[in-house]
Amino acid sequence: MKSTGRTWAPRMACAVTVSLALAACGGGSGGDGGSSDDGFTMMSLNENTTQDSVITSLSEDQCATQDEALPLDITEQAQESVDQQIQLLAGQGALPDLFPANTPDLIRELAENDQVANVQDVLADGDAADAIVPAAESAADQIFGDQLVLPVELNIEGIWFNKEILEANGIAVPQTWDELVAAFETLQAAGVQPITNAGSGGDGWGISRWIGAYLFRTIGPDAMRAIADGEASLTDPEYVEAAQAIAELGEAGYFGPAPNSIDYATAINTFLTGEAAFMYMGSWALADFNDPEANQIGEDAIGFLPFPEVEGGEGNSDQTPTNLGTSIVLSSAVAEEEQAQAWVECIASNYGSVALRDHGQITGLQLAEDVEVPPLTGLVQDQIEATDESVLWFEALFPASATTASQQNAGLVGSGQMSGEDFMSAVSAELG
Amino acid sequence: MTTPATPLVAPHADLPTGERPAPRPRRRRRPMRALRKLPLYSVVAVLLISVLYPLVWLVLGSFKTQDEFLNSPTWALPEDFTNLENFDAAWGSVSQYLLNSTLAVFPALLVMLVIGTAAGFALEIMVWKGRGTVLLVFLIGIMVPWQMILLPLFTVYFQAGLTQSLWPLIITYTATGLPLTVFLMATYFRAIPREVFEAATLDGASMLRSLVSIAFPMMKNAIFTIALVQFFFMWNDLLIALTFTTRDELRTVQAGLLNFTGEFGVVQYGPTFAAICINVLVILAIYLFLNQRVMRGMAAGAVKG
Amino acid sequence: MREVLGDRRTVLVLLAPALAIYTLVMLVPMLWSLGYTLFDGSVISGFQFAGLDNFSRLFSDPKVADALWFTVKYAVVITVGQVLFGYVLSLLYVFVLKRASALIRTLVFFPVVMPTVAVALLFQKLFEVAPQTGPVNALFNAFGLESVNWLGDPANAFVVLAIMDIWRSMGFYAVLLYAGLIDIPEDVLEAARLDGASGWRLVRNIVIPLSFPVLVSSLIFSINGTLKVFDSIYALTGGGPGTATTPLTLAMYRTSFASGDYGYGATIALALTVLSLLVTLLIFKTSRRDLTQG
Repeated sequence: MKSTGRTWAPRMACAVTVSLALAACGGGSGGDGGSSDDGFTMMSLNENTTQDSVITSLSEDQCATQDEALPLDITEQAQESVDQQIQLLAGQGALPDLFPANTPDLIRELAENDQVANVQDVLADGDAADAIVPAAESAADQIFGDQLVLPVELNIEGIWFNKEILEANGIAVPQTWDELVAAFETLQAAGVQPITNAGSGGDGWGISRWIGAYLFRTIGPDAMRAIADGEASLTDPEYVEAAQAIAELGEAGYFGPAPNSIDYATAINTFLTGEAAFMYMGSWALADFNDPEANQIGEDAIGFLPFPEVEGGEGNSDQTPTNLGTSIVLSSAVAEEEQAQAWVECIASNYGSVALRDHGQITGLQLAEDVEVPPLTGLVQDQIEATDESVLWFEALFPASATTASQQNAGLVGSGQMSGEDFMSAVSAELG
Repeated sequence: MTTPATPLVAPHADLPTGERPAPRPRRRRRPMRALRKLPLYSVVAVLLISVLYPLVWLVLGSFKTQDEFLNSPTWALPEDFTNLENFDAAWGSVSQYLLNSTLAVFPALLVMLVIGTAAGFALEIMVWKGRGTVLLVFLIGIMVPWQMILLPLFTVYFQAGLTQSLWPLIITYTATGLPLTVFLMATYFRAIPREVFEAATLDGASMLRSLVSIAFPMMKNAIFTIALVQFFFMWNDLLIALTFTTRDELRTVQAGLLNFTGEFGVVQYGPTFAAICINVLVILAIYLFLNQRVMRGMAAGAVKG
Repeated sequence: MREVLGDRRTVLVLLAPALAIYTLVMLVPMLWSLGYTLFDGSVISGFQFAGLDNFSRLFSDPKVADALWFTVKYAVVITVGQVLFGYVLSLLYVFVLKRASALIRTLVFFPVVMPTVAVALLFQKLFEVAPQTGPVNALFNAFGLESVNWLGDPANAFVVLAIMDIWRSMGFYAVLLYAGLIDIPEDVLEAARLDGASGWRLVRNIVIPLSFPVLVSSLIFSINGTLKVFDSIYALTGGGPGTATTPLTLAMYRTSFASGDYGYGATIALALTVLSLLVTLLIFKTSRRDLTQG
């Protein structure tokens, strides 16, 4: 257990409590959930079955040798409580070897306190030194400021549209923001819901993504970096303008009735049953798009539109919003242990193709073999390859409290109940 | 507080069925006309619909596919009543979760009731200086938000090497249930005149003996009520279970229900409903089983009035 | 005799186990967390002594003020609702349904058994506005009224929350209070009836005073539960829309664990504990005075 000069309070209370309690304080130094003696430990999200099953299948096949030397041990955690659990374990110096990057801000904080290993350093000496694709590397740099994750997920975001609805209403695929808004207007007049995106509770990111994307087009790819560095404020007029632009869509009712009571599943379902024409979404939704039971409009009816340029803006539509999902973080213990490193190398070399083959999951890792993919997945792969410059999303660099404020309030912007200015001040207040 | 001359609550209130004074002969009633009962019937009907609809909805839901959940109205009947896929998907994990919940809740419940009743007895029946203060100290426990004790407890459990077992849940449930148990037991004991125990001591019984042979039997109904209340608290707890269970095989039912939610918050409605159904059925079975005893006791009480 | 009732060793034997467990698992961690109120930082980066910073922040934090106001509003409305409906139900059981009440008691108790997640899902569906029209809005439409955005509007979300929490707990309070009502001696009621008391007068003059202790217990129990509400709000609205339905517990949980700001989270928790303490003492004092009047 690392003792980094934490205060007297926990120690003393621990001494008091435990000396009275059943067990002794000193006895458990290092604890039970520690990493090294328990095999290759991984905390995975309950909700994300892909990572579990890919790594388990690797342990039985490609990484069987590593598994024998250091057996894989997966514990699951509900997404609800995963950040709390990571903090609690980090407080005991007992992070598992692998754990999910659920909230970027938390991972950045862990890195500042030397609890996280740099993935490039771990991979540098072995065969897997070039395993990470450039797009993922650039995204990690932007999100974490360093290579802090093994990119087992790589998503691009943009606007998906229903080709048939557009055709039926005589709308050409919009190339600029103005054309897009004009398309919304036409659709609304024709009685078709223009956009579907979630805005209920914590699902408000469905709408705050629009604000972020708009900002990257008007102010440029560094728009949110400037906020994080304190060089600009969300309440500056050019930032408020972006939120207001989306608030106006909300006031016009383009997000459909009551978007702030729509959750993620409903939003996707609305799009896939042909009830709405546009949806801003990440490529993780491919899982639904490629599922014929969920996708009732058919994959041929779905098109992808990079978020369009705004006239007079600094950004351009080649700058693709990219994220790494809940990729895997390595605890600093991994860097100190050879067997664990061997495991990570094996994962880095083989995860990409197994995930794509078995789960249709696009990763930021090079493929060990060719895999045949459905057309929409291919489209996303091409888009990723064509991306020179990636941008983030609205909340990427926020601390948790500002992220919560943004996701909680964005729904109100989408339903026209909150102005752009009010939204930006509410979020700005949390940035301190 | 001295016992008031006229007891506020009937002294025989908690006597077990057998020792209860025989119910007095009921007054003869004139036959009520059905019409006069109509308002009553409709009130009861509305009441029952409002509490039974969810059960029906839940059961119906457990037969529905995800597509039906998203695209048909909430009140629609399932298309296929023989669709048992949801139960199939749910059962595998739910059986383990049920076992864990049982293993965590019942020991905690038992310990909590025994020591809580003893403490309530010591605080209300026994006479000693400072009991008011101690009762107040217990009362504070009702007010503390549980979120506040999570971090210290996690540290202690972790250092003691308990986090890979159900012990943290058992210990925490026992402790968090105590304040209310002690407080309620003290309230209920207030109803028994101290003279009962004074008489017992005259016969040479020690206080411990009085507790076991007089207080416990007299308090059966009260203890049962508290047990019921606490059982549902523990069984339905999510916060503590989420914080202290790190492994899937240790998960309780409530924490396990979150399993059927996808990464981006997509709820797998069918399996979730099936899992809830199984859970509710098990609880109902436990409830009815435990309730039989007390219903018999209460039936005697319901005759009067 | 008083000696036996006051035997110190017996007191110790009876009290020690409960007091020890309670102290170790609740009191000590509580005091420990109390210590954190003087610190700034997180479990990850370590804690630094911050003096009373957290407290001065507490008193100037508009978010806490909003959450406090919501908590109080929620606690008052739900407590009154729970206890009132529970009491009316228990009166119904005891005086109207009598022997027939066993089955109904069990059925009305049923919502308590349902997991919060399930209840919240149910109410979300019942009050749905889009993309499908939920039963409640369908009813509104049938009477020619417009659909209402129930969970998307702060005031409406509160209404749904109140209906849900009262609905799911009234059966529980009914059973709790029922246990108190059946204990009222028959001869007392009989005597009152002979004096001509019936209906409302019987209830007001005889039943309420006699069931007063249980009523007070229920009230204390309920107010402390509602002041600390967490699960049901978390599951139904997630504190939204915006932060309109965020109680202190949720604000504290987010501060402590989402933001990792444990010291400030503990400070909010302390404020909530003090609030509960004051309310409970108030009820306690008032009721004790009433009790000893007899």
